[in-house]
Amino acid sequence: MFKHVGLRLLQLVLMLIVLSLVTFVLMKMAPGDPVLAVLKADERPVTEANQQVVRQALGLDKPLYQQYGSWLLQVARFDMGRSYTTNQDVWQLLMERLPATVSLMFSSMLALLVFAVPLGLLAAVYCGRSVDHASRMIALLGASIPSFWLGLLLIYLFSYRLNWLPMMGGGSLYHLILPSVTLGFVMAPEYIRLLRSGLLEGLSQEYIRAARARGIREWRVTAIYAMRPALLPIVSLLGVSMGALIAGSVVTETLFGWPGLGSMAMEAITQRNYPVIQGYILLTGLGIGLANWLSDVGLLLLDPKIRHEKGMSA
Amino acid sequence: MFGHNVSLLRSSGTLLAILCCIMVLTSCSGNAQLAHTNKDEEKLITIVHSLPNESLDPHNEWIALRAGITETLLRLDENMQVNPWLAVKWEAKDDLTWQFTIRDGVTFQDGTKLDAAAAKASFERGITDSKALAAALKIQHMEANGQVLTFTTTESHPAFPTELVHPTTSLISVAAEQKMGKAAFNKAPVGTGPFQVNAFISGQEISLSRFDGYWDGKAKLSKVKFLFNADANVRTMAFQSKHADIVYHLAPEALGTIGQDAELAVQSVTSLRTHYFTYNPKSASVSDLFVRKAIDKLIDRDTIVKEIMLGHAHPANGPFYSSLPFGNKGGYTKFSPEEALKLLERAGYKKNGNGKLEKNGAVLQLKLIAFSGINPELPLIPLLLQSDAAKIGMDIQILSVEYPDVYIKDHTDWDLSTSSYLTSPRGDGASFLTAAYVPGGSYNPANIHVAQLDPILKALHATGDVQTRNQLTQQAVQVINETNVNSFIIHPNILVGINQRVLNWKPGAEEFYIVSNQMDVR
Repeated sequence: MFKHVGLRLLQLVLMLIVLSLVTFVLMKMAPGDPVLAVLKADERPVTEANQQVVRQALGLDKPLYQQYGSWLLQVARFDMGRSYTTNQDVWQLLMERLPATVSLMFSSMLALLVFAVPLGLLAAVYCGRSVDHASRMIALLGASIPSFWLGLLLIYLFSYRLNWLPMMGGGSLYHLILPSVTLGFVMAPEYIRLLRSGLLEGLSQEYIRAARARGIREWRVTAIYAMRPALLPIVSLLGVSMGALIAGSVVTETLFGWPGLGSMAMEAITQRNYPVIQGYILLTGLGIGLANWLSDVGLLLLDPKIRHEKGMSA
Repeated sequence: MFGHNVSLLRSSGTLLAILCCIMVLTSCSGNAQLAHTNKDEEKLITIVHSLPNESLDPHNEWIALRAGITETLLRLDENMQVNPWLAVKWEAKDDLTWQFTIRDGVTFQDGTKLDAAAAKASFERGITDSKALAAALKIQHMEANGQVLTFTTTESHPAFPTELVHPTTSLISVAAEQKMGKAAFNKAPVGTGPFQVNAFISGQEISLSRFDGYWDGKAKLSKVKFLFNADANVRTMAFQSKHADIVYHLAPEALGTIGQDAELAVQSVTSLRTHYFTYNPKSASVSDLFVRKAIDKLIDRDTIVKEIMLGHAHPANGPFYSSLPFGNKGGYTKFSPEEALKLLERAGYKKNGNGKLEKNGAVLQLKLIAFSGINPELPLIPLLLQSDAAKIGMDIQILSVEYPDVYIKDHTDWDLSTSSYLTSPRGDGASFLTAAYVPGGSYNPANIHVAQLDPILKALHATGDVQTRNQLTQQAVQVINETNVNSFIIHPNILVGINQRVLNWKPGAEEFYIVSNQMDVR
């Protein structure tokens, strides 16, 4: 077990180093100059001499390998540097945004499950009937509707028309409802389809027939015995979705004025704010690695076959 | 089987019932919250702005001044003239020395007195924490004596007072920062303004409450909520639903609906931004003055204002809006394809068998660099020009790029480019002229150089007299228009929604001063 965890940690560190190197090189290849953002050249005209001074002060005149090496050494000392534009500590900046991203991630996952589990379950139980068709229609709608459009519709209905929920801002759980429902609904279709097909396959298995023959209640047969194998692909997909949500959803965050990592990263990319972009990449890389690891642990717990293959006891 | 399905449905029904209860509870609470915020006796106002802020650091962001937390030594009035604020007077002692007398009787929100020493400490902190501020102020050293603060600049800096109206020159209590620590201070800065920070959520909202010790009279409002949202449609809905009292940068398409609500009003304020075309001095085609003049006459400014901007812009006749003290008082170039054709014929172009203009066998084909930035109208203006130019046989190819300045700097294969800048953000045009017409300037990626401008800019950099500076700026604009190195298109307006319950408040073109002690609600 320790060997397994150690190996995964080593893989994660290597992945983060490669990720940061690739991002660093790509950023430097892309057009744009952070010096103009540092000097706020869109507000105040600046001279070439000003730009040169700042370029030297930030070490942007040095060769690329030196710039990357200095940054890596800095990170090894747990220092992610300072934002070019606001002079804030990057780690502190990321930690300020992380709670909003994590809370939106968990609430969106909850909304996703609230949509996907009942709809997938009903579609499988009533396969080929109107409930199944309705479920598939809802899944199709979720897959087709862009998140910004759905978000605007929800704001229009629940905030503008009915005045039930706040359309922006934060500080209470109410503020989380609309962005979570938007993200959850848009992500749900894949889960609905996976759950439906997984349940249909599970319900046709011999052991299900045996369970029914023993007189076990149908809801128990469906919701427990058939559900367990159907959940395996769902758990794998949850890892992927969690990773995507950790990276932040720029569109939803912008729409609801939600201060997550996605909108921060977008602004940093626009301004070529390299320390913030690199910090963001490291943090989200770590988050995605962690989400995948959690997903693997979930699969281990759910599936005895995997435990057996990995030589772990049940 | 059916019976089991019924029980499943029952479970689903229970789930639905729980969800409905949650929704009902949610709705009750939401309504209660809204009603609470609208109580007149609380005197609370909600403002929504489009630009989210990571921090409230007054020396790196504008928001502390906008939110009425901090103030500057000098400020702009409605006519963009520089006026006293925390400084009661100022004078240039010589080319390098400026002396400011700080207002007496002003205290920061932590109770410390504002004197020259406190102001000096604030500037020192600003210069250390903001490279942009250090580059703009060019301060060599400062001396504090009672209420008199003397600045010595590294070089002659006649525009020094206008730099001191910029929000990032806000005065802060450095003593408070030392007590709180930088990180905490940047979330709740202590200034001299009428409001102090209660809470700040990065990128989302600021909660402000009245500072009772404000030197210019206690604010009429007790609380202000300052929200950020980058989506114009959501901001507009917040205004229409009356969740917000003042909303910046409304979606123009919603103005018709807003106009039907008697409780809502919209102010369309001319901004200090100018959209214009820059001509490539290295292009064989547009280096001919007649060609540039012809393109200028092909820009249908009236249609751009009416159709693209829905009336919320003004045609431009120079880089600065005509009502500014240094703006060009003449008219703007009217759309005239006939005159454009005549100018092109004078340049040697004739229509060929395909109706295309050509000279020495080469068809007149231009490459226009376009970008969208944050202004949705910017990509539409080149399309209109392209269409009008095609009607007289001029072929314009449009290339959209993310960073036009970078493209222009790295390429020579272009003829004209869309540009958009704040040309006079601090009541003075000199900084724009220097940045846009001196090679190496940050607004001059094409390295445009107009020799006739050199003596004017030299004189402009040598005088601090406002009248003379305005006259010189106007002369410079005249030269720019004669040489047609740019074609100025429009000055876009800022659309601000104001609920009629808001009193004593109107938006300014500079967008510096939003929350004030005078603003009130019915």
